Amino acid sequence: MATASPSVFLLMVNGQVESAQFPEYDDLYCKYCFVYGQDWAPTAGLEEGISQITSKSQDMRQVLVWNFPIDVTFKSTNPYGWPQIVLSVYGPDVFGNDVVRGYGAVHVPFSPGRHKRTIPMFVPESTSKMQKFTSWFTGRRPEYTDPKVVAQGEGREVTRVRSQGFVTLLFNVVTKDMRKLGYDTGPLDTQGVSWPSPPQGFPQ
Amino acid sequence: MAEVHVIGQIVGASGFSESSLFCKWGIHTGAAWKLLSGVREGQTQVDTPQIGDMAYWSHPIDLHFATKGLQGWPRLHFQVWSQDSFGRCQLAGYGFCHVPSSPGTHQLACPTWRPLGSWREQLARAFVGGGPQLLHGDTIYSGADRYRLHTAAGGTVHLEISLLLRNFDRYGVEC
Repeated sequence: MATASPSVFLLMVNGQVESAQFPEYDDLYCKYCFVYGQDWAPTAGLEEGISQITSKSQDMRQVLVWNFPIDVTFKSTNPYGWPQIVLSVYGPDVFGNDVVRGYGAVHVPFSPGRHKRTIPMFVPESTSKMQKFTSWFTGRRPEYTDPKVVAQGEGREVTRVRSQGFVTLLFNVVTKDMRKLGYDTGPLDTQGVSWPSPPQGFPQ
Repeated sequence: MAEVHVIGQIVGASGFSESSLFCKWGIHTGAAWKLLSGVREGQTQVDTPQIGDMAYWSHPIDLHFATKGLQGWPRLHFQVWSQDSFGRCQLAGYGFCHVPSSPGTHQLACPTWRPLGSWREQLARAFVGGGPQLLHGDTIYSGADRYRLHTAAGGTVHLEISLLLRNFDRYGVEC
């Protein structure tokens, strides 16, 4: 039986949005979505999701746990535009309004195996003190109209942000037919790759 | 033709004395390399960290090159600037690093330096800000005229870069 050489490769990602560390905020929920290039298309699974609202644990760790599943499969002809997961975290402010607490994005890992990523989360910030006060008072904080902006490089040079937390993600990655198409993704990495660690005092 | 995908993020910077940092980055390649998709340069957001001293940019890099030779392997170069509350920008450091040559995911820490001027200029920089800058950006990644400079260390730029290679084994290249 002649095997036709494949023209498409598949990327299967599953895992979870595990937990978050936000020292100043509590009662948070997160939304995730995937951003990918034009040569990519999702074939199975969910591209977006909203998690439950979680509160900080009462013990010393002060960690916010979501344990929120991710499961998606993509097909593509070209690694350009490799999918990124964009996370947005929201929570209540003093007056009860739902405000954004952080945006973050990271590429789905490239090599098959298990990977742990801890990503920084940042919010846009206004430059004038008056605007900061009115946005705190009215609950209308600066936010991105489309969170997918965080996954792009263009247009970010005029934004000022404040980084104020971290989210930990776990990924399991399986690829199909990348080697047959000639792509070399490097050594299989089953221990996960270490990341520049968050400052002292935060659990890994 | 062999193809190289450079995909990853400029994660952030640490060790700078100023907060509110942003980075202008670019990639320089030799004549044998051709950029098929992606933007060759850009500028990150300005981040003021609330926790710790590391400024986080999470700026995505996604480049697709086709190459006919190994000479001129891509080099990423950076200019880290700080912005104060009045919107003025001051140079915090220049740095470059080569894109890794083996496929897989790599954590890179790129050291930076900034030009020192005369003692008058250093004093002025401490009080008023400003300070000398390079006239030609290619001194950041080339060694040509470096002997003229006297520099001091800045902080470190952190990157997470993954490399996908295609058809390199067809040409007998081992990496």
